[in-house]
Amino acid sequence: MRLNILIGGEAGQGINKISEIVSTVMNYYGYYTFNYRDYPSLVRGGHNFNILCISDTKVASYESVLDGIVAMDELTIKLHKSQLKKDGFVIPVKGFENLGRNINVAQSGALLKVLGLGKQALIDEVNNQFHNEESNKAAELGYNSQENKYNLEELSNAISKITGNQGIAKGAINSGINMYLAYPMTPSTGVLHELGSSQEKHGHMVFQAENEIAVVNSALGASFAGAKTMIGTSGGGYDLMTEGLSLQGMSEIPLVVYLASRPGPATGVPTYTMQGDLDVALRSGHGEFPRVVIAPGDAIEAIEKTNEAFYLAEKFGTLAILLGDKHLAESEFSFSEQPNNPIKFKVRRKVPGEAIVKASSYEHDKYGNTTEDANIACENGIKRLEKYAKIKQECKNFEMIKIHGNPDSKNLIIGWGSTKGAILDAIDGLDYKFLQILYAKPLSDDIKEHIQNSDKVILVENNLTGQMGYLIREKTGISIKNRILKFDARPFTSDKLREEISKF
Amino acid sequence: MSWFKKEFGTKQPITWCPGCPNHMTLEAVKKALKKIVKGKIKQKDVVMATGIGCHPKIFDYLNIGGIYGLHGRVLPTCLGMKLGNPNLIVLGFAGDGDTYAEGMGHFIHAGRYNCDMTLFVSDNQSFSLTTGQPTPTTQQGYKSKVNPFGEFNQPLNPIKLALASGVSFVARVNARDIQHTAEILEKAIKHKGFSFIEIIQDCLIFNKDINNKDNLMYKIKDNDDKKKAEALADQWNYNTKEGKIPIGVIYKIEKPILSDEWPQLIKLKEKSIGWKGL
Repeated sequence: MRLNILIGGEAGQGINKISEIVSTVMNYYGYYTFNYRDYPSLVRGGHNFNILCISDTKVASYESVLDGIVAMDELTIKLHKSQLKKDGFVIPVKGFENLGRNINVAQSGALLKVLGLGKQALIDEVNNQFHNEESNKAAELGYNSQENKYNLEELSNAISKITGNQGIAKGAINSGINMYLAYPMTPSTGVLHELGSSQEKHGHMVFQAENEIAVVNSALGASFAGAKTMIGTSGGGYDLMTEGLSLQGMSEIPLVVYLASRPGPATGVPTYTMQGDLDVALRSGHGEFPRVVIAPGDAIEAIEKTNEAFYLAEKFGTLAILLGDKHLAESEFSFSEQPNNPIKFKVRRKVPGEAIVKASSYEHDKYGNTTEDANIACENGIKRLEKYAKIKQECKNFEMIKIHGNPDSKNLIIGWGSTKGAILDAIDGLDYKFLQILYAKPLSDDIKEHIQNSDKVILVENNLTGQMGYLIREKTGISIKNRILKFDARPFTSDKLREEISKF
Repeated sequence: MSWFKKEFGTKQPITWCPGCPNHMTLEAVKKALKKIVKGKIKQKDVVMATGIGCHPKIFDYLNIGGIYGLHGRVLPTCLGMKLGNPNLIVLGFAGDGDTYAEGMGHFIHAGRYNCDMTLFVSDNQSFSLTTGQPTPTTQQGYKSKVNPFGEFNQPLNPIKLALASGVSFVARVNARDIQHTAEILEKAIKHKGFSFIEIIQDCLIFNKDINNKDNLMYKIKDNDDKKKAEALADQWNYNTKEGKIPIGVIYKIEKPILSDEWPQLIKLKEKSIGWKGL
């Protein structure tokens, strides 16, 4: 059973609340949910929609054909009815017009009745959210307004849900983060909010600096002074930070960077998604220095990989970049499994207050003093190479790639990051092996063998040029000819991706 | 002098030009540090961030820790170190190009944040390490390889900007007056909040036309009157060798400081630890 329900309306009408209430109740009844958010860059008005996918088995994507529409305005119906299945349902505002702020609560109730599940969890959730009788009554009114269509039954799965951004924040907290610095930029801002509002609870500090250049330089200062530090941004802000990243390379002050990309170049399509920034994550910052680039594919991996990034940054005094995109950052994932136990680690290096410690942007001797000596420059370069070799060795302790689907299949799909969900759902039941790349740098040595052992190889990326494909060619010498690239600033839907895969 | 070398100096060969006022600033800083580092305050509790240019070479000549940072980024680096451990005494050494060209935005915000740290700007009205291009404080008419017609742009008055930005300690010193400079530096470091000191200095190689202003300089008493501070700031326009150049504490006010506002930092201060010590 899998249902795709579009919930649409103007910005500010409260469509996210419908997704939240309905998915919380569905999770309570043991159903998996995936919520995709689609919204333009404006504050009030316009047309926003979510697609809430509800499933009795694991799901991490949505489909292009709709089972139902919940419309908070007429425009939603007009724009999306062509996507609706013949027997699809529509829940309009009609009948709820006088409910004011509780229209969305009533529509949540209406949708849950269509799905056919009991009323009590709905009332509990609405009460939990709003603590007022009016909202409870609106939920009840909405619920009673519809007929049961799907007769869904309660399942025994224990399910929780979080967004990718919440996963990044959780991973940072699990790592004992002390300091998060950022300048607001979609789609990374969720982490700024998440960590900002949990400062009192978890004891870390969040500082919003005047720009991204200040963010990265202050972060290096804080980390140098002994704080476990992360910064977050999207492409434009990341570009501003890149000189600071190069300073990290020379000073070897630990730093974790969350790069939540969106379609560029420049301001691009700011509230939508794209995997266009792998290249800058891998190569930004002048000079040659080690780094780690990790791309989680869902919220659980965001928790785990953020922790690995913190660990690697501190252990090796390196730059650890967490590469995500809007589809990972703002989509809501549900799961029944628990993330791995976090790696616990302490700051062991000497910090100011304990000793006289010097870090430098110049090439420097072992005391931290500036040098232009050819031998020291050469030795330090070699040390940076050796450090990267050690990092690569250490990364082998972690899942640098994952194999999904049929591990013995001769048909191979390669993807990374937020395309994971759509690929998993697209190949469900097909004879495919899916190689998910989590570490873009260092890149796993095993990838070459997987490609060589396959008869058919397809590269799936949410970008224009197939950047991971070029990286694989650079590291293995193998050029992947079959490519499914999507660059309309929207994520893959699993049904359309399945059609694309079937063409090969 | 030899005692200071032992205490705060390093063995790194000094590469400033012979006779450069930077040598004198270095001695003044060592003198001030000698006053600051005593009792509970150890040498390892003082950190610096430096920019890139001539003056920031002081990083290699001072035996205190810190970050030899990027051009223009002294202030955010200092702020970060203070956030990382609010018990540290944080000093920033920058130049005029560093602070007013590349890093101007940070300067204004440092006034807003009023984080307890001190910025020293050595202003020789010239980009000297890159061989004499104009900076935002260069006088009009200055001819260089960049502009053979002479500099068109009006010089910035950093003292006025600091006052307008709400900086809580604004001072100016003459690099050549080591004793007076050391006294003001000590006051700036002890001031609770963001302190800004402009160090007027000559460049012996580039932009020599604006050199030798000692005869215009006069010492003032510490001032805490805003109107008077603005009048003092107006006495010299950076453009000519005319008018008077007041040196000393031009403005000083007690204001809430960043590290006393954030509960997380207050906790670290109470325990006398940085984040690492938690």
